Amino acid sequence: MTSAPPRGQQEVPSDDPRVQLDEALGVFEPVPPYPPRTEREAEFYTLGDGEMFINMGPQHPSTHGVLRIVLKIDGENVVDLDPVLGYLHRGVEKLCENADYHHSIAYLDPLEYISSLFCEWPGVMAFEKLLDVTPPPRAEYLRVLSSELNRILSHSMFIGWMALDLGGLTPILYGLIERDEIAEMLAALTGQRLLFNYFRIGGVNGDLNHEFLSRLGDWMSRATTQIDANLGLLNENEIFVRRMRGLGTMDQATALRMCMTGPNIRATGIPLDFRRAHPYSVFPELDFDIPTRDEGDCLARYLVRVDEIKQSLRIIDQCLNQMPDGPIMAKLPRLLRPRPGRAYAAVEGPRGQYAAYVISDGTDQPFRMRIHDPSFVHLQAVGTLMPGHLIADAMAVMASLDPIMGGVDK
Amino acid sequence: MDPALKRRLASRFGERLTAPIHQRHDETEIRIGPGDVPDVCRTLHDEPEFAFLVLADLAGVDTGTTMQVVYHLWSETSSDWLRIVADGLTRDDPRVPSVTFLWKGAEWMEREAYDMFGITFEGNRDLRRIYMPPDYQSFPLRKDFFLPDDAARSPGAGVRHMEQVHVPRAGRPATTIRKAPA
Repeated sequence: MTSAPPRGQQEVPSDDPRVQLDEALGVFEPVPPYPPRTEREAEFYTLGDGEMFINMGPQHPSTHGVLRIVLKIDGENVVDLDPVLGYLHRGVEKLCENADYHHSIAYLDPLEYISSLFCEWPGVMAFEKLLDVTPPPRAEYLRVLSSELNRILSHSMFIGWMALDLGGLTPILYGLIERDEIAEMLAALTGQRLLFNYFRIGGVNGDLNHEFLSRLGDWMSRATTQIDANLGLLNENEIFVRRMRGLGTMDQATALRMCMTGPNIRATGIPLDFRRAHPYSVFPELDFDIPTRDEGDCLARYLVRVDEIKQSLRIIDQCLNQMPDGPIMAKLPRLLRPRPGRAYAAVEGPRGQYAAYVISDGTDQPFRMRIHDPSFVHLQAVGTLMPGHLIADAMAVMASLDPIMGGVDK
Repeated sequence: MDPALKRRLASRFGERLTAPIHQRHDETEIRIGPGDVPDVCRTLHDEPEFAFLVLADLAGVDTGTTMQVVYHLWSETSSDWLRIVADGLTRDDPRVPSVTFLWKGAEWMEREAYDMFGITFEGNRDLRRIYMPPDYQSFPLRKDFFLPDDAARSPGAGVRHMEQVHVPRAGRPATTIRKAPA
């Protein structure tokens, strides 16, 4: 029986003694062992004078997951970079196309494990559009309430990570305290701490209960002061603020050209928030502001998120006051067979626009399920923002865009 | 639904639309040939009466008979999502011009569509695989790529499940490809 030789043995041995030593030691070589496939790859993997390649990842703590970035550096300056994705690719779209409509929701959850509810929502919304179903108002309020809690959870983790990537170890601990309180709260509502799987086609899984409300009331009474105290660690920190200011600046035209959404585009001064720009659910009935900044640098991206936490608290307050009584699920058959058609739904998540495009062919499984994730788009902008910065600052730039690799790799 | 957008689109692109404009919920859908994509996108992006500045999504679709590339755009001038379907790409050699000259951010989304469907975007200067390894041969989201838990097509039946050629071989059992009138 003959089998093809493993990939490494097909290569012509290199004449370069350093490469031979690397191969003998099993050291990973950043340059791929095949000729360049595209113009851009050829350009990137050609070294100029005094430049060298360095691998960051896949297991680098500041890559927020498993991402490998090949950096082309000159001294300590980043000249160019090439992100290598796919270490976390699970083929969620294909799995959804082979599962029925109810099952697909469970596949959407682990996309971004920090903001699961926002991954579920566009999928559920698109299915509802295909079925011409409107969830009852109480279910919509519950969705907004739980997802705004999730937004605070996500942003408090972001603030911690951001500081961690800049070398500050304390804020992540406070961020985790915040996150843990909200996770416990949402566990009382949804039944799970991390992957909530709370939204259903036509409503939500569970109604408000005593434990959730007591935890929420307890937390809301001290949330503002607690969050302000945590932020004081960073906002009044001279080192943090001076290092973030003017770093990784992006202008409005570039942000639109790079298809950015969410806090990253609002940090450049464009008030694009799909809760207002393309209203969905009960957001037209709620009163909140869209925080923007004009600088477009890392500090602006950080401060926009900080302001969003305060707006989310406002929304949660209004939800609790305005929530109507009534059912939490629309009446639907167990087996869903939407008529053939197409639907697109998008929501504003903590990182930007989460969207789903679903095609139905009349069976009980989606024919095509396209998932759009903001992390994927934002990670791309790292390539335009990083060059020219020091390696350490490049980490700060990446952290300020807040990509989650689960969403990037789908 | 935004009837005004429908009128504006019909009067601006009348002869280039390959199907009637379709509106449902908050979506307006136009269909064009793949060759018209750069012109139509540039018009929608640049002209102030449209001003579709935000590319919300770019997706590849395999309908089982043809390939499509689907763009979703957002604008302040309309309350609808605008969906552009570049229709009628052949499954053997799907080709469509790239929109990276307008939205640089489409580069990775096009790479993804290339990786998953094998759609070639002419003008994208970095069109290589993004998720799958570089020596991978198949296009996983095509409808003739079956998942390994389909027992009839398991490794026991002689199918290498992680890798499938998309041209059916002679001795292979006839496959039922899901098709949709998308």
